[in-house]
Amino acid sequence: MKELSKVRHFVYNCRKCGLCGNKVSAKVPYVCPVREHTEGFEHFYAKGKITIAQGLFEGQIAPSPELTEIIYSCSLCGNCLTQCGIIDQDSGLPLTDPPQIIEAMRADLLREHPEWIAPAYHAMITSTSQYDNPWGLPRVTKERWAKGLSVRTIQEEPSEILLFTGCTIPSNPALIPRVQKAVAILNKANVDFAILGKDEPCCGSVQRRVGAIDLAQEMREKNISMFNNLGISTIVTLCAGCYHTLKVDYQKAEPPLKPKVYHLVDFLSQLITQQKLIFTHTQNLKVAYHDPCHLGRHSGIFDPPRDILNALPGITLVERRATRENTICCGAGGGMRLFANGTLAEKIGKASLEDAMATGAQAVVTACPFCEINLTSAAGQMNHPMPVYDIIDLMTKGLRLEE
Amino acid sequence: MKKALNQKIYKDLSEIVGENYIAATPLATFAYSQDASIFGGTQAEMVVRPGSTEEVSKIVALANQHRIPLVVRGGGASIYGQPKGLPGSNLLIDMTRMNKVLTINPESFTATAQCGIIMGKLQYECRKEGFYIYSPFAPLHIVSLGGWIAGAAGAAGLWRDIISLTIVLPDGTIVKTGGGPGTNIHQSLFYNRNLGGPDFTGLFIGDGGSFGIKTEATVRITKFPTVMRVSIFEFNELSKVLAMVKRHLERVDPHPFDPIMVFGPGAMKNFMPEFSEINSFIVQGIMQGHTEKEMDAKYQVFNALAEELGGTRTPMLDAMAEVMTSSTSGESGMEMDWLKLFNVLGLPAWLPFTLPREGFLEVYNKLIAWRNARLGEATSRGFEYGGTWEFFTPSDSSTLIGEIDSFFKDAGNPEVVFFVQTMMRDFQEYAHQLGSIDVYNQGLMSNLHARYWPAGFKYLYTTIKASLDPNNILNPDLWTSQKHPGRRPRRKIKK
Repeated sequence: MKELSKVRHFVYNCRKCGLCGNKVSAKVPYVCPVREHTEGFEHFYAKGKITIAQGLFEGQIAPSPELTEIIYSCSLCGNCLTQCGIIDQDSGLPLTDPPQIIEAMRADLLREHPEWIAPAYHAMITSTSQYDNPWGLPRVTKERWAKGLSVRTIQEEPSEILLFTGCTIPSNPALIPRVQKAVAILNKANVDFAILGKDEPCCGSVQRRVGAIDLAQEMREKNISMFNNLGISTIVTLCAGCYHTLKVDYQKAEPPLKPKVYHLVDFLSQLITQQKLIFTHTQNLKVAYHDPCHLGRHSGIFDPPRDILNALPGITLVERRATRENTICCGAGGGMRLFANGTLAEKIGKASLEDAMATGAQAVVTACPFCEINLTSAAGQMNHPMPVYDIIDLMTKGLRLEE
Repeated sequence: MKKALNQKIYKDLSEIVGENYIAATPLATFAYSQDASIFGGTQAEMVVRPGSTEEVSKIVALANQHRIPLVVRGGGASIYGQPKGLPGSNLLIDMTRMNKVLTINPESFTATAQCGIIMGKLQYECRKEGFYIYSPFAPLHIVSLGGWIAGAAGAAGLWRDIISLTIVLPDGTIVKTGGGPGTNIHQSLFYNRNLGGPDFTGLFIGDGGSFGIKTEATVRITKFPTVMRVSIFEFNELSKVLAMVKRHLERVDPHPFDPIMVFGPGAMKNFMPEFSEINSFIVQGIMQGHTEKEMDAKYQVFNALAEELGGTRTPMLDAMAEVMTSSTSGESGMEMDWLKLFNVLGLPAWLPFTLPREGFLEVYNKLIAWRNARLGEATSRGFEYGGTWEFFTPSDSSTLIGEIDSFFKDAGNPEVVFFVQTMMRDFQEYAHQLGSIDVYNQGLMSNLHARYWPAGFKYLYTTIKASLDPNNILNPDLWTSQKHPGRRPRRKIKK
């Protein structure tokens, strides 16, 4: 219980009031997507999980395979933390933090009882060690997508701005157009940038979320040293998970990451404001924006994607009941696509799409490859699948770059 | 033999609710061993989540047949621990799957819902129709409708809003009270608790869940007030505060549109640290209604009354009134903020009371002195506390309910936890001796209340309990150790 002991205060500061599982209001249809889309027993949401953590401290229960099943059934979306909202008045930090408690329990379980952890998690961790890519693809994957495009590596010529593509987008054939379109948009705005190509490392986000914290820490230290010595001033990420990891985790580390970190939507919304990107094509589409947890609730990026959508001619943005900090996770957070073969993740994703449909939206737009994968997969389970776009898709159309 | 029987119970329960809605693993049941209190509960052998009155009825009949003790749980929001049942034998019924709003009737001003619904959800659904449920003192987002009816509404003055109940009695019989076909009034759309027969709805309000399981309830709803004014005055003397409350009550019924709330110095320090040097009381009048003109008039009358009695306004308090106006006019914002505020302050030693308004001053001062002495003891033992909270409000024209809580740091220290548990128990003993009674009929407080019952009342309770629950399966021993005829629960269930 080494890691759990570090967050003991979070366990005992929880009053077990149940707000994290029970709140319903005009903006909160429900708090915990796992509780909502399972049989709803208390161990499915934060209060029950924290009760179990306290039981471990007090010796009333012991780690078991059942504990593993319970602790990995969480998307770490943090809505429980938002709705709980108890903040230390002096430090401004949360007094209790369910996602941190769960991450700590995962770390302890993985260290002390790896045999209880599902093979899919081990495979992801092994792939990281072998390929520096959790999805088991060789390094060359990180530059293959750029073949034939007007993009250079930082090794070829230095640049102030680094486009950090992350592992998920270049590793997934369906998502590769996202990075290619991002390059086209940046070129259209005459942004001077470079990529790392096959030398781009994994940021360590997914490893940390599933409990491989030693590996994640090793990656973080190595990566910070590398980034700080690249001669860059800015990193632009495509992936919400990478963004949160670099922006929050890396910048809190010692030594901290020096370059400024932007998510692409934040970076591009500034280019729109500066009139470096002017949309000329009207699309006539009503869309709901899905706030990725890592980008929105965890990092505070709510307005830039909406600013982009509002700037796109013909795009009408509608808001769901749960939006911005109250957003409901797409289902893919916290390694949930590896949990129970992804069935729970897809169930949550399907509900998310149905919520969007209820607003009259014709499509869902997001800015995270994990959300896009899971929502697209969930859409496939529907009788009338709702289209799922990355915001880059709509921008590319608006700029007539596809032509 | 025993194992075969237990497997049979599991199988029978599976046939009632479906296997997915039964949990019998050690950690799933352990997750239910705590509630919002520091007294917790006991770990049940199985947890079942029924989805309808009929399923509850079948579960209860099965438990009655096998003499399995039942513990019923709603939102798990009790401050005195959930019923203990018989440790090692309990089947816990988690009611929160029964969370549907059945009807909201704008014609009759009623809402009917399943009793596992959390009040915040019910409130939201009412708000969508332009109505609300008067419940300013409940932590709406964690309390279930059934828990509210069984544990707190009786004392909080809200009992009159609960009109009709569907109840599963301890032998599985389903009964409905308070109006509608099959009740005391065999008329649709006619809700009255004591026409055509005795008020059996009242029998189940504040019973702690020991007479029957509430599965559906019809409650009175009120047209949502769209206009609000908040006025806050400072008073240096408690006697003048009480005069203000009395004069306010002479003019209006606080329920539902004109609540008046009094905050003590400790509460104000939490709201506004700059208040720390002031040792006064704050009186807050909330005026709610449907027209600006009406509210302006109420506001002026309230202010004139407060000024006549020596209350003063300051720019700081006016600013606070403005904040309160905006937070309370939102979606139950006031209740929400209070819960967060309490959670931030630390481990709560909840010290609630219900007192007659007449003679309040003397008893209140004694209670405050008792609390402060206990806080002095805590300090001498090195236990740090993070704040106090004093608050009271009329629950009806003759009664004031409130609390004088304190909040401790280091909730992970078992000595602090024990100190707080003892403080809460001792306070209620002391308050009882002074003529007070707690707001809540929950957990260990039910046992404490019952110790002060006169023989006649105890006889009535045990007679009704024995009649309805001869095998003593439903929340056994919640109030008293049953000495009525009938056998105690005997069956242990094993996974």
